Amino acid sequence: MPFNAKSGKFSANINTVTMGTGDKAVKIGGENVLPFFTFDAPVENAPKVGIEITDFGLENEPDCVKKYYEGCETVVDMAKKAASMEGVDFLCFRMEGGDPNGANKSTEELISTLKEVAAAVDIPLVVAGCKHVEKDAELLSKAAEAVDGKNAVILAAKEENYKTIGAAAGLAYKQIVGGESAVDINLAKQLNVLMTQLGVDPKSIVMNVGSAAAGYGFEYVVSTMQRVKAAALGQNDNTLQMPIITPVASEVWGVKEAVASEADMPEWGDAEKRGVDMEIETAAAVLAAGSNAVILKHPTAIATISKMIKELM
Amino acid sequence: MHKVTFKFENSEDVTVFAAFGENLLEVARKTNVAIDAPCSGNASCGKCKVKLVGGELDSKQTRHITDEEYALGWRLACVSKVVSDVEVLVPDIASAYRSRMKVADLSSPEEIRIFEDLKEQIAEVGIALRNNLEAINLEMAEPTLDDTMPDNERLTRSLQEATGVSRIRIPYTVIKKLAQVLRENHFRVQAIVRKTEKDVFVYDVLAQNENPVVGGLAVDIGTTTVSAVIINMLDGKILAKGSGGNGQIRYGADVINRIIESVKPGGREKLQDAIVKETLNPLTKTMCRQAGIRPEQIYRMCVAGNTTMNHLLVGVDADPVRMEPYIPTFFKTNSLFANDIGVDINPDAHIILAPNIGSYVGGDITAGTFVSMIWNKPEFSLFIDLGTNGEIVFGNSDFLMSCACSAGPAFEGGDISCGMRATDGAIEACTIDEETMEPSLTIVGAPGTKPVGICGSGIIDIIAELYRCKMLSPKGKFIREGKRIRHDKYGMGSYVLAFEDEADSVKDIEITEVDIDNFIRAKGAIFSAIRTMLSYCDFDVSMIENVYVAGGIGSGINMQNAIRIGMFPALPVEMYHYIGNSSLAGAYAMLYSTEAERKVYEVAQNMTYIELSAIPQYMDEFVAACFLPHTDASLFEGVE
Repeated sequence: MPFNAKSGKFSANINTVTMGTGDKAVKIGGENVLPFFTFDAPVENAPKVGIEITDFGLENEPDCVKKYYEGCETVVDMAKKAASMEGVDFLCFRMEGGDPNGANKSTEELISTLKEVAAAVDIPLVVAGCKHVEKDAELLSKAAEAVDGKNAVILAAKEENYKTIGAAAGLAYKQIVGGESAVDINLAKQLNVLMTQLGVDPKSIVMNVGSAAAGYGFEYVVSTMQRVKAAALGQNDNTLQMPIITPVASEVWGVKEAVASEADMPEWGDAEKRGVDMEIETAAAVLAAGSNAVILKHPTAIATISKMIKELM
Repeated sequence: MHKVTFKFENSEDVTVFAAFGENLLEVARKTNVAIDAPCSGNASCGKCKVKLVGGELDSKQTRHITDEEYALGWRLACVSKVVSDVEVLVPDIASAYRSRMKVADLSSPEEIRIFEDLKEQIAEVGIALRNNLEAINLEMAEPTLDDTMPDNERLTRSLQEATGVSRIRIPYTVIKKLAQVLRENHFRVQAIVRKTEKDVFVYDVLAQNENPVVGGLAVDIGTTTVSAVIINMLDGKILAKGSGGNGQIRYGADVINRIIESVKPGGREKLQDAIVKETLNPLTKTMCRQAGIRPEQIYRMCVAGNTTMNHLLVGVDADPVRMEPYIPTFFKTNSLFANDIGVDINPDAHIILAPNIGSYVGGDITAGTFVSMIWNKPEFSLFIDLGTNGEIVFGNSDFLMSCACSAGPAFEGGDISCGMRATDGAIEACTIDEETMEPSLTIVGAPGTKPVGICGSGIIDIIAELYRCKMLSPKGKFIREGKRIRHDKYGMGSYVLAFEDEADSVKDIEITEVDIDNFIRAKGAIFSAIRTMLSYCDFDVSMIENVYVAGGIGSGINMQNAIRIGMFPALPVEMYHYIGNSSLAGAYAMLYSTEAERKVYEVAQNMTYIELSAIPQYMDEFVAACFLPHTDASLFEGVE
């Protein structure tokens, strides 16, 4: 009997979400197959790669990243440069300095920088907060207002502050609301239900279901993403059909494998290579597990992942 | 040394001396002043509030006490240090665990009917309603100079003749009084005996004209609540019924904390005293007074309690129950007598323990399963016991599966800021007007009783109503504003069920987001345990034909509301049956019917215990169930 390959495509789809406006707008999601299973059915939109910069400019960047921004004086200069790098689909501006336990920059200061960044680039924009729930409620609500009309992703609303952020970003300024949950399929779903009940259009929600650097409890991350996709496609669970966007840089560039100097860890070899490898490995794994977009930092990692996506499509 | 005076609303002051810096809660414990401390005094539950009326306490405010309350003198006893002579008022709600030990009025027909119905059901399945205790009238020849047989031999012979059994056992307690009783009654007496094929054991000899009450005591020892009945062993009639808080509660609200406390030096004795001397003995005494008998006239006792409770009652090391691989000292034991553990009834009375089948499925469940009769039905049934530990049994006449989940004390009013047991003043049911958001409350007690707190069934109703009125998000947070909805300075929302002037309390009766969160976890534990066990056995909710719900959480549960909040599966309400305190009913059955006792052992042996913590899926199910009604809304589709 001849072998008849059965297509593994599903009758359900991941939502298609458009980020940004105009020519440079990108679409994520839309697929009805498992990640990169192009042999089952065409993958509607290839996963996208974003580049991350922060309000600290070059100050907090690892040395190996700094050299790519040579000549940049301001955050805006960096944003322009980042947007032009190879393989970059969107820019993520992280307002790290807002954290009250850190630099505690004022909302006004951060928002004014954000406005400058937004004006300087024409690629889609992701605005990320400082990870402090109360500050983010204020900061990201203002951010949604500041980038009015940009169709930006506001990252992220959590269970504790979804009401404020969801209302500002999703209802008032019609941005895309990122919902962040802690590596648990049920918590991810619950947040989507809560935001939808608040009135946010499910088609303008993207999920950050939690991430980690490879090796740091990473199997939970992968398992959560896979199960989210399985429920969304296999069970047509429309409370889980939002595309997944995964910030990788902010996880990877905090672990010792990526940041320990060669002086401290001579046996580990070249520091830059280690960091880049960590970022590539983590990004490749979360893409294979179902992420529709990743946010990276090192230009080499971005170029590599972008090439990987192209070749797998 | 400083003088500490505990004042009460309804009783006399208690004065004691304490050292500088001594913890107020510890002082109260040493003095036997009842202050409820379910969290064992680590400032996490906020239950041990007392009011400072004189002197000083070194006490932190903590999140449980608002600025206003603090200004009025409210303090948490567990974080208060004695630094001067001090007078504190212990409010009634804090001593609620003793909740005015309640001896039920047997004139209420419902109280009796439960047991009468049970007797009928037992008889229907062909189990004989009798035991081996008897009162036998004896007439002996009075001794003379020619007939010099000693008294005990005279009694023995007479009993041999009356019973046809050759081995007669007369204990010391009877020997001691024998001479007097026989002579006062001219050797015409009645003997209370236990008769088996092998021997006859004499518990007592009495005058023939004395009312021959052969008493029996059935007790349900719950982690939070103890309830009991005294019965006439000859006809099964209930002579008295009573309930009270488990005195061990001050050593922690749940079994784990109790076990930890029992492992400390002298701990086992302390916990045994708390249940026997402080709980069972006073309760028995009060009930005996009501029944008109002496405690020595109780010749047999049956206890149904979870594994930890019966270990602590017997006074054996319960620590292995808590530690992997969770092995208790015994599942069943036949060698326990009243005298061994100091229960004030007939010292030779045999104590029957309903058998345990695992560390977390104990005698309360085996007894309850017997009462639910699910072991005798061909169709699949679910038996749910809502207690501090939620236990679930599923099966039919061919097999029984059981599991336990930690629901916490929320169903019995613990872990809830205004929670209480289902006694006078408890809000046991509630409806809310969607428009005005005004509640109407049903309160336990005589008409006109003002609310004091909320019991388990009330919490189910309140949360279901708040959710129905769209005042609560599925995560249990308030999403509407109104006069009865408040937020404290940390943003925590609450709903006021009764303002201070509407309530019989020193403060408003409210339900907070923290309470709701605790309750959602409790209901999530129950629902996820049901789901996990069914799917583990490859069964589906739709295969269930009957659900028996037991537990002392109120006079009844609004099943529709329990389904609406996702505590029970969405099955037609008619399939649900509330069977009250099945643990006590089971203890009663085992006490009164020897065959029922054997049947419980048999049922217990046929039950398979599933350890939920060993099933990875359980945690997922739990998180999914901690949502109103459930993260998977399709499970509750069509529920109004």
